[in-house]
Amino acid sequence: MLLMAVLTAALLILPAFADTYILSVAILILYFAYLGQAWNVMMGFCGQLSLGHSLYVGVGAYVSAALFVHFGIQPWLGVWAAVLACMAAGAAIGVLAFRFGIGGVYFALLTIAFAEFTRIGFDHLRWVGGSGGFFLHVAQREFNDVLALRGSPAMFYYVMLVATVAAFVFCAWLLHTRIGYYWQAIREDPEAAQALGINTFRYKMLAIVISSGMSAFGGVFFAFYYNNLFPEQIFSMSRSIEIILGPIIGGIGTLFGPILGAAVLTVLAEGITELMAAFGWEIPGVKQVFYGACLLAVIVFVPRGIWPALARCLGLESRGKGPRDG
Amino acid sequence: MNRIPQQPIDANELAQVTDVGRRRFIAGLGASAAIVSSGSLMRPAWAQSTLNVGVLLPTSGFQAFIGKSCKLGADIAPNVLPGLGYGMPIRLMHADTETNVDVARSRAERLINDGAHVLVGAFDSGASAAIAQVCEQKGVPFIVNIAAAPQITEQGYKFTFRNFPTAIDLVRNGLALIGDIFHATNTVPRTAVFMHVNDTFGQAMARGIGAILPRLDFLPFKVVETIAYDPAARDLSVEVAKAKATKADFLMLVCRLNDAILVRREMVKQRWSPMGIIGPGNPGMYEAQFYNALGKLSEYCMSNVPWYNPKAPLTHSIERAFRKSFPKEKLMFHALNVGFTVEAIMIAADAYKRARTTDAKALADAIRQTSIANRMMIGGPIKFNAKGQVEGIKSACIQNLKMRPTVVLPAASAEAKPVFPMPGYRKA
Repeated sequence: MLLMAVLTAALLILPAFADTYILSVAILILYFAYLGQAWNVMMGFCGQLSLGHSLYVGVGAYVSAALFVHFGIQPWLGVWAAVLACMAAGAAIGVLAFRFGIGGVYFALLTIAFAEFTRIGFDHLRWVGGSGGFFLHVAQREFNDVLALRGSPAMFYYVMLVATVAAFVFCAWLLHTRIGYYWQAIREDPEAAQALGINTFRYKMLAIVISSGMSAFGGVFFAFYYNNLFPEQIFSMSRSIEIILGPIIGGIGTLFGPILGAAVLTVLAEGITELMAAFGWEIPGVKQVFYGACLLAVIVFVPRGIWPALARCLGLESRGKGPRDG
Repeated sequence: MNRIPQQPIDANELAQVTDVGRRRFIAGLGASAAIVSSGSLMRPAWAQSTLNVGVLLPTSGFQAFIGKSCKLGADIAPNVLPGLGYGMPIRLMHADTETNVDVARSRAERLINDGAHVLVGAFDSGASAAIAQVCEQKGVPFIVNIAAAPQITEQGYKFTFRNFPTAIDLVRNGLALIGDIFHATNTVPRTAVFMHVNDTFGQAMARGIGAILPRLDFLPFKVVETIAYDPAARDLSVEVAKAKATKADFLMLVCRLNDAILVRREMVKQRWSPMGIIGPGNPGMYEAQFYNALGKLSEYCMSNVPWYNPKAPLTHSIERAFRKSFPKEKLMFHALNVGFTVEAIMIAADAYKRARTTDAKALADAIRQTSIANRMMIGGPIKFNAKGQVEGIKSACIQNLKMRPTVVLPAASAEAKPVFPMPGYRKA
């Protein structure tokens, strides 16, 4: 608890001490931690592997940005439309997959396919710029306008911090409700869960709808933070991979895993860049190689992720809470 | 009374006269020579400080090939600029955007924190737009080397400048040059078949052509059919057969490298010999691999793209520096990337020379007043409009002649005359 309190205090006062570069790195960590948490609901809690989560990020980003640009609807209103659109998309995929018994690798392929044809669709959607990109107008402001999500990096940092904490609390609550237990039962053995009377279709649907809805907010944040959207980038497979790397490294199915994973990966990535700069080396792509090596090391040495191993070291398992519970 | 030497004196004698030891004298002489040769004494005080130029390029990720090509331009810039009157010290601070918008933004923050006075980059429109925002927030000038999205200079930014044509200008210039080709060769093709790769770039070009072509009423031809093909296709025989069946006078081809090779090979196989193959603003047919893969079959293909002026004095000095630094590379295969990157750094150096300070606001004001006539790329002088966009950047018609990209239009920059219609195949 003390550690948590210190960490929370440090995160709250970070903008007062950190320069904008540190702040931008912190925003990236929180952003990937948040999206990792959203993905974790599907894979970590319910055992449904999605490799196309960029779909929900992209749709969320485009819906809120389009409402803002074309109709002047503020992002905090637009976010609900984005969440609804993503939930509908998630539900459509879910119905297709779960009603017809598509699971495992085939479900993963289905999610990739949906992300890919949505990208192609947005490439042709001229209302939002098509392949030429969709730009939000950026105005210089003297003050932070939280309602319009326009302002300084510090404002975006706090927005993402609140979102990440909210996602954490929401997921922790979910895990300890009946839904959470049903999800875990489905994850461990779907047939057994069904035999016990759990409506697996309903609870899988619930997982995909909640996960996609949460991801939508990540998209809204992306749109208003970067102010430009290109289908090629936001719906890309590499973005989906970026989202899932954090939870995989940190620990799938745990609450702290996505946060720890995002922090480790982002700090490592920046650290490598800094190290290379310090030594005056210019080896493009070395970071990606190091990423791969890290992933390999985690799979080989801590296959359940860093957090479960760390939790064991910190003695958190002994309190009757398995590492998967957070 | 001091002795006044009437004859030339040697170092020992001078040392005795001035009461300075021989070793100290020689050391002092060496130091003086070093200072004078480095030009420090001749530089004003403001120029003693270094201009830090942050160069952001995608040197890894899927745009790495082009990012590295741009970086060649950045690498030679410090060798070229002193010869152009920009003798002040310039330090390049490289950063890899990894073909990722998130990384581009954080790298820009980092470079500014590390003391970059001006940023240059970033090849990609998304990355450039993200960097532009950081520069606006920090009040640091950003000079876009290559990025075509018109919106980058439509945001009302005060610190963002672009020396590259917008996507609309690229298409418009490319199409207008097709008319120039016909005029220069006294030909009047009436029909064209338009083939384009069906990816993001190809679709954007197709839409641009669809919007602009009807307005260019001086062009004598009409597009009889548009054929899109998959960028990952391994066989384009059906598409080429379809294009051949239209009996169009020439082929307008928006392609990338691999599909350009496939189309050309298939045309030879099917003995289709139109008057010409013209790319209205796309890469593919002037790249080194195109010549390597096709040999003589690469001949006579035309591409209307922004290019360097082979007759410009600046091009010659850059070519010399390029050859010296990268003996295994040829400038002509990096023309667009190197040219616009060198020019972007030159704009920064020029602004620094006039502003006489590394203060960001003064540098931005100086960039706004830029007027550089001695440039490498074809087009008018480098002058920014109120939006921070250089107008008047032209495209050149590049034709593959003698296995190399050769400027054939505009006439003022041409190295050879355009060959149109292209000769038929004798042996294939």
